[in-house]
Amino acid sequence: MIGKLILTDLMKIRRKGIWFLAVLGPFGVVALQMVNYGLRKDWFIQQDTYSWFYYIRNVNAFTPFALVLGIVILTSFMASIENETNSWKQIIALPVSKWSVYLSKYTTLTILLVFATCLLTLFSVCFGIFLGLEGEVLFLDLIKYSFYTFLASMPILGLQLWISIISQNQGIPITFGVIGVILTYMAYFLPDWMIWKWPSLENQWDEPLINACFGLAVGLAIYVFGMLDFIRRDVK
Amino acid sequence: MEYIVETNKLTKRFGKEYAVEALDLKIPKGEIYGFLGPNGAGKTTTIRMLLGLMRPTLGSIQIFGKDLTRERIDILKKVGSLVENPSYYPHLTAYENLEALRKIYGVPKKRIDEVLKIVRLSDVRNKKVKGFSLGMKQRLGIAASLLNNPELLILDEPTNGLDPSGIIEIRNLIKRLATEEGMTILISSHLLSEIDQIANHVGIISKGKMIFQDSIEVMRRQSQNKILLKVNDCKMAWNFLISNGIEADFSLESISLLDRKDENVAMVVRLLVENGFSIYRVEEEKRTLEDTFLQMTTEERAI
Repeated sequence: MIGKLILTDLMKIRRKGIWFLAVLGPFGVVALQMVNYGLRKDWFIQQDTYSWFYYIRNVNAFTPFALVLGIVILTSFMASIENETNSWKQIIALPVSKWSVYLSKYTTLTILLVFATCLLTLFSVCFGIFLGLEGEVLFLDLIKYSFYTFLASMPILGLQLWISIISQNQGIPITFGVIGVILTYMAYFLPDWMIWKWPSLENQWDEPLINACFGLAVGLAIYVFGMLDFIRRDVK
Repeated sequence: MEYIVETNKLTKRFGKEYAVEALDLKIPKGEIYGFLGPNGAGKTTTIRMLLGLMRPTLGSIQIFGKDLTRERIDILKKVGSLVENPSYYPHLTAYENLEALRKIYGVPKKRIDEVLKIVRLSDVRNKKVKGFSLGMKQRLGIAASLLNNPELLILDEPTNGLDPSGIIEIRNLIKRLATEEGMTILISSHLLSEIDQIANHVGIISKGKMIFQDSIEVMRRQSQNKILLKVNDCKMAWNFLISNGIEADFSLESISLLDRKDENVAMVVRLLVENGFSIYRVEEEKRTLEDTFLQMTTEERAI
């Protein structure tokens, strides 16, 4: 049942430019490094930081920002497809359980974001190789910094999806999301417990894995909370 | 009689307002049930509860003899519905819109072409719904509700926004579905004339309460034309008529005769005159179904 729902959800995002956004995001992040390395290549060499290690951290400086922005836009998009002509009433009147409808939306978004994360890794590797950085390609580091960031931002995904789906007016989740993007941007100044800090993979123990694990756990908790609320609500 | 839908004291409260109050809806199998009521009477809220979109505050719903809260998914497999304005995805074509629903029902793909043909949208199957007229969107909504060959079809104001020829078309379609496919159909409307032409069972709801529920013949009988007689002493005249075996109703100022045949009226008049009653007026009261409906709903409002 859930498989069929995901298939229909993937069908509904056709011609909406959503896949394009999923490509544009990671491309944009790497494009910023193209500018960075294009302008300051000599400076990096001079500073002895023209290596994979520093390159990956430079890429990662913009990933959280792009990812959170992407989550805000995609969740709102997904919700607006159903809100536009209030097709929630049509879906819920189908022989499907309400939780599977919610899970399907969540899974579709996860598919899109994982796709974008994979592209980010791919683009980073390609541009890194193009630059001819010093040393071996640090694949593990690359994958870590892409996917840990994704896992660490799962609470934001859960929260935005919930707000988008329950809001008739998509201005609310967008406003909330923009504040989130700004917070993500200021991650350095935020306390460790704030979910908007987590995608930066920074914490007082200097261990990115903590952010990823917490992200996964809290993300799933928020997802379950949103789903239970969705089940409880009457469909207008 | 076998009931496809049966609700027991169905109630929905929004805050302090009762949208639907202690509703006992009974829809017999194979009938077209007209669900009538003025705007805001609680028709759509009731339908939403029947489809499991809203949770009743109180009461229970049985569809196909099964409890809705417990076996919702099983029930919905055999129910088709169109609630209020049709829902669709404007950026997808008519075919893709139906395909998205077909996948979930798991019916064969050729069913999409069948339902498109039923609502005569085959020509525009590959056009985006964005460009459809309201009538076409409404028809697409009906096509969607027929996808799973439902045993129970629930249509909420299906002729809303359609032009006269569209209305006739939908009406014929609904009649055909009931006779040929044996579907039980619940159709809501605020227009009596609409229901009068297709339904064989009527439920009238006003302010969330069911004020009439029976076959349409019973309602027609209530709204037959009557002969009104005004005489000097109504009560005595009425007693006199009854004792002479004449069917008559007595109200405050007049006697009404149900049998409108000329000879009958003449006989009654003669009887009354011969027995010393003074007849002031003999008039025919014309009542349409619409009058009965209006009277029923406004009486409720007056309380």
